[in-house]
Amino acid sequence: METVALIAVAVFLFTYALIIDERIHRAVAAMLGAAIVVFIGIVPWEALLEHVDFGTIFLLLGMMIIVNTARGSGLFEYIAIRTAKLAGGSPIRVLVLFAIVTAVVSAFLDNVTTVLLLTPMLLYVARVMKLNPVPFLVTEIFASNIGGAATLIGDPPNIMIGSAAGLSFNEFLIHLGPIMAINMVILLGMMYLIYGRSMRVSPGEQKEMVRTLDGLDERAAITDRSLFNKSVAVILFVVLLFFVHDQVGAILHTVLPFVDPTMGLEPAEVALIGAAILLFWSRQSPEEIFEKIEWPALFFFGGLFIIVGALVETGVIASIASVMIENINSTGEAMFIVTWFAAIASAIVDNIPLTAAMIPLIQNLGATMDIYPLWWALALGACLGGNGTIIGASANVVVIGIAEREGFHISFVEFLKVGMLVLFVTVAVGFGILWLKFVV
Amino acid sequence: MGYSSSLIQRKFKDIVGKRYESVLKEYSEFLLTDEEMLVPEVRSILVPLDSFVHEITDEAIDVLSAYNATISLAYITDAGVLDLLEQTLDRQSAEDFRAKKEADGRELLERITERLKEHGFPTQTRMFVGQTGDDVVRMAKNYDMIALNRRYADGEATDLSISPTVLRICQRVETPALIY
Repeated sequence: METVALIAVAVFLFTYALIIDERIHRAVAAMLGAAIVVFIGIVPWEALLEHVDFGTIFLLLGMMIIVNTARGSGLFEYIAIRTAKLAGGSPIRVLVLFAIVTAVVSAFLDNVTTVLLLTPMLLYVARVMKLNPVPFLVTEIFASNIGGAATLIGDPPNIMIGSAAGLSFNEFLIHLGPIMAINMVILLGMMYLIYGRSMRVSPGEQKEMVRTLDGLDERAAITDRSLFNKSVAVILFVVLLFFVHDQVGAILHTVLPFVDPTMGLEPAEVALIGAAILLFWSRQSPEEIFEKIEWPALFFFGGLFIIVGALVETGVIASIASVMIENINSTGEAMFIVTWFAAIASAIVDNIPLTAAMIPLIQNLGATMDIYPLWWALALGACLGGNGTIIGASANVVVIGIAEREGFHISFVEFLKVGMLVLFVTVAVGFGILWLKFVV
Repeated sequence: MGYSSSLIQRKFKDIVGKRYESVLKEYSEFLLTDEEMLVPEVRSILVPLDSFVHEITDEAIDVLSAYNATISLAYITDAGVLDLLEQTLDRQSAEDFRAKKEADGRELLERITERLKEHGFPTQTRMFVGQTGDDVVRMAKNYDMIALNRRYADGEATDLSISPTVLRICQRVETPALIY
């Protein structure tokens, strides 16, 4: 291996070690790694712009603007209180409803914001029920990762895969949506079997809980009614636009004949259009909203793309791909390896850097085999693999971090036992369905 | 703190930044704290009444029913009004007024007592001539809670404003006060 290739691999491994340990901010670690490979000249300026996936970065940026603007209206708190009240004092119903709401919201908005806003409510409900909140929190984590895996915009790995492979929102929904729906049912069944016995409350306690929760006024959570309505309208419009983003030209052409009927919008464009509409319509101060954008996350992605770009530039990815091609005999075999490698590695490394590294590898495999099924294998493994450990996905870290701050400790091993079970069952189910779809 | 906990805290800080604090602040505006969730032990409740109070509302009874407390109804005829009548008219007019107000008071006490008993409240009643504000403040020290009608010691106003006497009582008592 050439010296530059060795340096690229060393920078890659060193950066990933820093990201796993997080003694240095992940964004700083990624930027440092990127700075080294750029400084040495492994990734020249022209190549740098090619390696940074602006589709991913702008999609994240657009959705961050929409979510942060909507947050100011109290929309998420409203959803949380409505969900708590709907449960009617039954712990099992709390678990099921919060899991479903978390999964659905995570499918369309980012997982971190979803769990960040729902977890305090879940802790409150558990406190009212005088129950250990851990089963509810753990279920919320799994639901967020499963829900996020269902759509192109639900989870960062899907955003990265969709952007790199040019996959549409509907393709994600068709191939991964049903798998995640089935996995949600399985998850709820598993959680009931594991935690059901610890969730019993007396009728008196249930009555008390209903009375306390009924005392909450979800309308009081809405701090700005006008912004609330506009946010809901824009989010619905953006979701609708995602459904038809690759057919926008054909739709517009019927009304505006000068529009090219073959034109489609990239998911990033949809998110930025939605952000622009919401900012214009709501008249929110752009300075305040832009301040709330998670810039470190965007720089983290940018840095990762450059570090992985260094592996591409030095031929490391091509070498690994050629070894794989020599040893893999069929698409089914490749699917198996990609799914399970992504799932297990995601539980250890964090699924974002893992996906960043896997994407060019799969692109390289495209020379000799049909890689279309591999994108779904990667999405499945990377998203659901995040369920394996407490550091597997950002949602896990956020929920467990909040729990620790509120005095509830979830140990690494305690989570690992349930997380690995969920990982293996949900990935196996998903892989089985993908296998039936693309191999059999 | 073990490695796992410190790792989670480091990652949490990097992913969430200061957003969690702002989320907590938003929630704190409408979620009850641990202290607020505890129902305080209330064994005796003073309910001052006068000629301006005509009923005890269903909502107030709902709230009072959260406590297993004895309710003391105190009908107070305003001594200041009687003095004023005696000075401006004569003693007999003041006595007639007093007799009339006490008859009204007895009827009100009977009606409210019956209603409270229907809801299972142990009830005590008393009636006296005194200061509608000062006497309530003095008596409140011997009770765990006071429940004040918003029209108490006010007048026959039809708006929803709270009587100045009620507000003054609330400012002066340490006992928790419910305004209905």
